[in-house]
Amino acid sequence: MQIPIITKGFSKIYTEGQFTVNAVSDVDLQLDEGEVVGLFGPSGSGKTTLLSMLGCILRPSGGSFELYGNNVVFQDDRKLTELRKKYISFIFQGFNLFPALTAFENVMLVLKLKGIEGNPAEQRAIELLSAVGLQDRIHFLPRDLSGGQKQRVAIARALAADAPLILADEPTGNLDFVNGRKVMEVLNDLAKKQNRCVIVATHDNRIEDVFDRIIYMEDGRVIREKRREG
Amino acid sequence: MFYVALRIILYDKVRSLITLLGVVFAVGLIFAQMGIFLGLMETSSVIVDHTPGDIWVTSKNSKNFDFSQPFPEYIYHQVTAEDGIQSAEKLIVAWGIIRQKEGGTEQVEIVGYNPDTGIGGPWDMVEGDPSLVKNGNFAIVDESAMKRLGDIQIGEYRDVLWHRLQIVGISRGVKSFTTAPIIFTSFNLAQSLVTYMGSDSTVFVVAKVSPGHSVPEVIKSLQKKLKGVDVYDKGSFSRKTRLYWTMETGVGFSFMLTILISFLIGMLIVGQTIYNSTMEHIKEFGTLKALGASNYEIYKIIFSQAMINALSGYLVSLLITIMSAKIYEAFGMVMVIKGWVNLLVLALTFIMCLSAAFISIRKVKRIDPAILFRG
Ligand SMILES: Nc1ncnc2c1ncn2[C@@H]1O[C@H](COP(=O)(O)OP(=O)(O)O)[C@@H](O)[C@H]1O
Ligand SMILES: [Mg+2]
Repeated sequence: MQIPIITKGFSKIYTEGQFTVNAVSDVDLQLDEGEVVGLFGPSGSGKTTLLSMLGCILRPSGGSFELYGNNVVFQDDRKLTELRKKYISFIFQGFNLFPALTAFENVMLVLKLKGIEGNPAEQRAIELLSAVGLQDRIHFLPRDLSGGQKQRVAIARALAADAPLILADEPTGNLDFVNGRKVMEVLNDLAKKQNRCVIVATHDNRIEDVFDRIIYMEDGRVIREKRREG
Repeated sequence: MFYVALRIILYDKVRSLITLLGVVFAVGLIFAQMGIFLGLMETSSVIVDHTPGDIWVTSKNSKNFDFSQPFPEYIYHQVTAEDGIQSAEKLIVAWGIIRQKEGGTEQVEIVGYNPDTGIGGPWDMVEGDPSLVKNGNFAIVDESAMKRLGDIQIGEYRDVLWHRLQIVGISRGVKSFTTAPIIFTSFNLAQSLVTYMGSDSTVFVVAKVSPGHSVPEVIKSLQKKLKGVDVYDKGSFSRKTRLYWTMETGVGFSFMLTILISFLIGMLIVGQTIYNSTMEHIKEFGTLKALGASNYEIYKIIFSQAMINALSGYLVSLLITIMSAKIYEAFGMVMVIKGWVNLLVLALTFIMCLSAAFISIRKVKRIDPAILFRG
């Protein structure tokens, strides 16, 4: 079995004029199959930057990155797209749902991209939306859904992409406590059931207890890790 | 992806409606300009096109049907004597003056043809028959001339070039680019009416080639033998007349310019809408890309939007154009609506809308996924 993520000395330096920001410094990380990991830290600590690099979206300034046994070379755009398509799915703080499409259609669109169409796709979309607790909101437009419900549609869509690794950046950032918690529970639950890896970047301390492991960042460095007992 | 595009368009109803109006405006203008332009073209060569015969002999350097110079009649005999000519007819087209009922005069175009064969004469009669102009001071006027000449009844008299002519028929569909009313008479009468021509001249000779002979070869041989005249096949002379009126007068250029401007306006409107829509959906598109969609799949959504804009705008314009053609007719203008024109405009509409989508395509290609991480 391949290890989802191994990074060594992973770093990112932003330069703006004569200023440089060490957004991520020297991060060694290993993620195991089926782990749900929380990436915690104050605003500006480098969570988003790290997540973008793990998502093959942002080119690091240094270090090495292995994704499911593939040494990621950031110079090759086509290869990056291929890796993303095969291994990674995303959930964002802004839900990024097509406002003109219903929950069902938003999920169907991604299934179609994966080459799943017709009846099997419809079955799968209903399955996924039911799994996030939206069975009675399937044909609602995003504008008729609450923030939490929208984020759950986004989760269903991310799951539709059927990638083993899900990266989520502040998925509860636009949600109140109750809804945020509910979204995290749904995500955690599904990840466990479907044996997917999840990394959630957040500064929402109230949801700490959901994670198998928590990585604390500050000023671009990993300062502490905590594993759940058992 | 077409479905997604359709949903996006239907979702933003106000914007889509404005876009539709823009496309309809642009395409409708293109339709009208093309239709009127082609109508003018058809009008300018209508007699040539309706006159049976393969070959037109004209005076040297004649530029069009309406202003050709006379040449001696013996040319006609040379033509009939030519190997490969089955028959030939003389035709006079000249300018004259008609006296109005209530006084005053009006310029008319006189067409004198052989009433025995009817070649060069009217082809569609409201009343009377083309052969009636034979042997006497008789004339046929076109119904479209009545706007200029007042109501005309069969049997009444009008003075043309100071000769009293009796109206014996009313034709339909005969117009000239010059807008002057057209009066048909027999060849002989026209020859004596139009004194500046001389009594043994004609303006055209229209000839038919015998079966088994090739028109271009007969023309080549005639060109070699005949002096002081030009020899065309029917199509060429028709085209020459059309091109003269539409191009040399600048009318064509003005039509083309309007068509071009309409095209650009339409492109701008559609481009603007699709660009705005793309920018509004840029995060959604970016997310699709992050989830594994290729650029190509997102282009499909954008191009589908353009196609839907094009098709809906086109159909509405076509409908409006077909309905308004009747209005043009009421004003005495001909607006041509033909299969190939419709297809051409359809193609133009698609080119207009699809090229408008290209700026958006570039935007999608360069989506910076980092925007997705910004709340
Ligand atoms: N595109 C960028 N250009 C320059 N500096 C950036 C850019 N993105 C982030 N940074 C800086 O990098 C640091 C880490 O940012 P970020 O990864 O967004 O942290 P977090 O997600 O933990 O809030 C911050 O100091 C931020 O200002
Ligand atoms: Mg962040």
